Formats: sequence, structure tokens, C-alpha cells
Amino acid sequence: MDNSVKIMPKAIVCEESVLRGDITISPGCIIHTSATIIAECGPIILGENCIVEEYATIINKNASEEAEAGGNALIIGTNNVFEVGCHVQAKKIGENNIFECKSYVSPAVSVSSGCVIGAGCRLLAAQTLPEHTVIYSKNCLQRDAMEKQSQALQIESLRKILPNYHHLKKATFDAKKIRGQV
Amino acid sequence: MASFMLPPVVSYACSCGLINPITKLYFCRHCLQLRCGFCVCHEVDSHFCSSCLENIPSSEAKLKKNRCNNCFNCPSCQHTLSARATTVVVPKKVDDPEKGDGDDKEKDKVITRKMYYLSCLACRWTTRDVGIPDQTVASGAWPECEYANQTRLNAIMEYYQSVVLQEKQEKQDLWKRKTPKKHKYFSLTDRTGLTVSMIRRQMGWADKAPPKPKAITPSEASEEVDELPESIFTEPVNLKNITTIKQRHSQPADQPETVDNLFPQRKSLWIKRSLRCRQCEHNIIKPEYHPTSIKYRIQLFASYHVPEVRLVKCEQPLKAGVANFVILNFANPTMHDMVVKIIELPSEDEEALLIEEFRRGFEKQTSLTSTPSLTSALSRQTSLNEEPRFVDKRTTAKLEYPNVPFTVNHRDDSAEFDEDTQIQQEEPPFVIWRKSNKVSVKLGFTPDPDLASNDEVVVGFSMQYNYVNTVINTADRSEPQKHTLHARVYVKVGNITSESA
Ligand SMILES: [Zn+2]
Ligand SMILES: [Zn+2]
Ligand SMILES: [Zn+2]
Ligand SMILES: [Zn+2]
Repeated sequence: MDNSVKIMPKAIVCEESVLRGDITISPGCIIHTSATIIAECGPIILGENCIVEEYATIINKNASEEAEAGGNALIIGTNNVFEVGCHVQAKKIGENNIFECKSYVSPAVSVSSGCVIGAGCRLLAAQTLPEHTVIYSKNCLQRDAMEKQSQALQIESLRKILPNYHHLKKATFDAKKIRGQV
Repeated sequence: MASFMLPPVVSYACSCGLINPITKLYFCRHCLQLRCGFCVCHEVDSHFCSSCLENIPSSEAKLKKNRCNNCFNCPSCQHTLSARATTVVVPKKVDDPEKGDGDDKEKDKVITRKMYYLSCLACRWTTRDVGIPDQTVASGAWPECEYANQTRLNAIMEYYQSVVLQEKQEKQDLWKRKTPKKHKYFSLTDRTGLTVSMIRRQMGWADKAPPKPKAITPSEASEEVDELPESIFTEPVNLKNITTIKQRHSQPADQPETVDNLFPQRKSLWIKRSLRCRQCEHNIIKPEYHPTSIKYRIQLFASYHVPEVRLVKCEQPLKAGVANFVILNFANPTMHDMVVKIIELPSEDEEALLIEEFRRGFEKQTSLTSTPSLTSALSRQTSLNEEPRFVDKRTTAKLEYPNVPFTVNHRDDSAEFDEDTQIQQEEPPFVIWRKSNKVSVKLGFTPDPDLASNDEVVVGFSMQYNYVNTVINTADRSEPQKHTLHARVYVKVGNITSESA
């Protein structure tokens, strides 16, 4: 597996995080220590302002047949939160989703936007979660969320605190430099 | 305590004959008997809210239908709702336009106001989901839901309350007529046989009878039910909009069918419970009054008074009719040395005697407290005594009872840190290990020869131990009383090994 991790400027990536494979981390993302991102079956592109907390695991397990259809990249939209200990292998992830602690999303699931996967919930069957779905309780009950989930405050404070206590990986990708070359 | 959540390996027989692990038993210091949950009166000590930990007097709790005033449950998932604050920008009203002629900036000034809404941290339901407006204060101002059946229910409740009152009055009158009051001093009415109400009637005063219950129109059952709406056959069901059974039941007053009718539910109160021995009516468990405290004022758990038996090891394989060994551990929880002797379980006749004794003990108590004033004051709950019975656990092995007593040292929390300076004392041969307040013994047993494979092997014995009662029951005795007590103990040592294995 080639380790070509692209970290955009203004992204905060802790040194002790595990990043493997072709990963693109967009500006504004926060990757905590001991978070794991593995681009196993294809590249992972993390959208802007995503938070990946401790012990969260994101793995690209997109099957090869889809690779022919349009790339087997796992594209994660903006403003997603992957809370402590969650395990996400989803096919596709939209925007503003929250994966709560210890939740599990199987490779058969596509997550649209504004969804919340509750703490400890396990999504296994092939499905596409409609927008603003909240999965909660041990029986994985579903409901529609009216409120928009926002974690702007959290990002702001993390951006201040994290660099004080952790070693960060340096940005490996400079947009200006690229432009200069072109 | 290892058996707290697991199926019990070692169980004790309560004085009523029911089998329980020691963690579920109590020990009455006054009767010197084991008591299980059925042998004690359960009384409500105090009401409190588990969320805000406010203590609510029982009369107030009754008035508020056992619900907290400030805390709400999520109607969607039944977790506690928490108040969230948001800041809203409200344009400031300009009171005096003439005063501020120079500064136009003042007019554009806005003030930020804190507004609160309730939100569930588990399922992210909020009061905004169902259109409840945000409030200016965090608690106490949430709108009360009005229900269609409320007036009807109130009328019914009022009616039945007056019916109860009337019945009570009638019973009291009957009681008065039946048993003439025996006062120290005879009153005029006693001698003449006149009652107060008779005199009142003779004087032409209205009788002080309670008001007759106002009649209510009884409900009528009807067979006519509304037809199902046409849409139910044609439109696809969206399960997200339909409430679950649990959601409907948690909102019993209106039982909404759709999620947009969910409404925050006031949190049910919790209780602190005290337990009372049914035979001597002494408290066995009494919690501290304050809701934030988890301590007890009286705590007579059996595990603080009765030696705890644990199964350490049983030689495998277990075979029917083949002699085997079991190692049991005895721990002394009290501050006094104990002499423990393992003897045979009571025979059937002896057990019948025990049951007879249990019954007598209760009868004696009821005759003592049969005066109506006392019973009504002491036992708020009708004293239903647990019917004693034979122990429903048969031993399936023959244990070799050593019949030799051994000492179990008292509990000493500091002994754990002491260097091992145990004086080697004369030990019976079956005692194989000893440390601080624990003793392990090795006992031989033979599983019954007629056991099939996988059958449970249960050894049972009667544990005789001496107990020092530190509570002084009677005034004339100042010395702590020593008692010799028995506990019937049953140990599941394992299963007969299957032949194939
Ligand atoms: Zn009992
Ligand atoms: Zn409360
Ligand atoms: Zn909820
Ligand atoms: Zn008692």
C-alpha cells in the first residue's frame, strides 16, 4: 500500500494518528491521536472541517466492482464528526453527519447528509440513509431530525487546544506551490 | 460478592424456606434470623427525583402524580432531557427617540437574549421538533399539555374519592356501634346510650354525615368504531412518523399516533425504601434521608453478619457414586471471632419443627400488637407473612460432615497489611488454609449413585456459628449477647461429567 497522505494546510493532524494509503485531508480537518484512517481498497478523501476523534477508525472497503463504475474512492463530505471509538466503513458519506461513540457502519451502507448514528448502534444491512436520519438506542430506531447538528464551537476550541499538547504532522501539500508549477 | 450478577453457586435458605444468594438476604438482629425480600415489609421512605435529586414530600408527590416539577423525559427515547441555551438577537426598542438625536447608531443596537429549549442527548430530539416555543427561563415555564379526557378523569377521581370517604365513615360508625368505647371516665353519653349524632338530631341540628357522592354519568361502551381512513390502504407507511408502542405508553394521557404529537413528559419520581422485619417490626434497612446520600442508617444485610461461604474448587471429574473433594472458603464479616461447625442439614421432621416455630413467632407478634391503634401505626402495609415452606433444593451428594468446630478470625481491615505472624494453632485436619478472617476447608463428598450425566451436584450443610449481638435488646443486659445460630447452605459444586467426554 503506497503511503501518499496529502495533508492540506490548516488541517490539524496529530503525529500519533495512523494514516495508511492514499488519503487526502482537506483544510480545517482535525485528526486526533490514535485515530486510524486506512485507504484499503481505494483512496479516502476527507472533506473540510471533519473531526476524527480518538480510536475512531475509517476504512475504505469499497468493493472492486464499483471501481469500474466510477472509482472506489471513499469520499467524505464536509463537517462530519467521527466520535471516540466509532468504526466507519461506509460506501459514501455526505455532509454534517455524526458517528457517535462506538458506532459501526458496514461497507454496504451509504450515508447521505445530516445523519446521526447513535452511540453503539450497528448498521449492517445494505441501505442508503435518507437525509437527517437519526439512529438511536440499542434497537437502532430511526427518526427524522429537524435540528441541524453543528460542531463549529467544538472545532474552534480544538483548533486552539490541540496544538498546545500534541505534535502535529506537517502539511504535505501546498496549493500555492502547485499553482506555481502550473 | 462475585455472585452478585451471576446465577448463584452458594445459596442460603431464608427462615421462610426460600433459597437465595447471600447478597439478597437480610439478617434481623432482633429475631436473629435470615430474612428474604418476602419476609420484610417494604415501605416508601421518601420520594425524590433521580435527575435533579430534589427531595419531595410524599403529600406533594401524591399531588403531583409522582412526577418531578422541573425534569422531563424525552418522549422519543425516555432519556432525561437537558436544557440548552441559545442566544437570540432581539432588536432593542428605542424608548425615547428625542433623547438620542445625535447617535443613529443607538437605534440599530440589538440585545442578545438567552433562550432555552430542551434537547435529548441520546436521540437528539428537541422541543423545537414539535414546535414548542423556546422559553426565557431554563426550567419551570414549560407549557402543560391539555388532554381531552382530563375533565372526565378528574370527575371520576373526585367521585371515587368521595365513595371511599363514605365507605370509611360507614365502617367507622359500625365499629363504634359494635365496640362501645371503654374510657377511664364514663361520659354521660356512655351511660345513657346516646350518641353524639343522636343528640344532634334531637336538637334539630343537621347530622354531620359526609356529603353524598355526586353521581356521575357512567361511560357507555359502544360498538361503533370510526372507519379506517382511506389513505391507510393507499399511502405507503412512513415508520419515522409513527410512534412506537413504547413512546405511546410513556405518554399515557393521549397516546399519540404520530411523532409530531410527542410532548416532553415529566420525570417519574424515585423512592428510597426502608425494610422492616415482619415478625418483630424492627427496621432492617433504613436509608439516609437525603437523596444525594447512598448510605444507610440501618443496614442489616446478611453479608455483614453471616459467614460467607464460597466455592473455591471442586475436584473434577464428578462421577456419580465416586468420592470427591470440595474446597470451601468461609469468611467472617463481623468484628468478633466465630466458631463455625459444619453439621448435617435438618431432617424433614426437624424442618417441620422450624416451620412451626416460624409460624408461632409470627402469631406471637400479631397477638402482641393486635390493639388497633398500634397496628395501624406500625404496619402501614397489611402484614402478609410469607408462608413458610420446606426448602426446595435437594442435595444430590453425601457430604462428610466433620462435626468438629473451627474458628474463623474476626475481620480486621488492617490485617491485610500486617506481616504474616500467625501463631500456628491446633487446627482440625480439614482446615487447609487460613488468612485474616478467611478459612478454607476441604470436605469429602460422594455424588448420589443414581445421578445421570450433566445432573447438578449439590452439597448442603447446616452451618452452626456463634454470633455476638452488639445491639442491646433488653435494658437489664449490658453485656453483648452470644448466640449460636444455624444457616442452611447449599453449594452447587458442578455437574456430573458426561460419559462421552
Ligand atoms: Zn424469607
Ligand atoms: Zn427533577
Ligand atoms: Zn431522546
Ligand atoms: Zn425481626
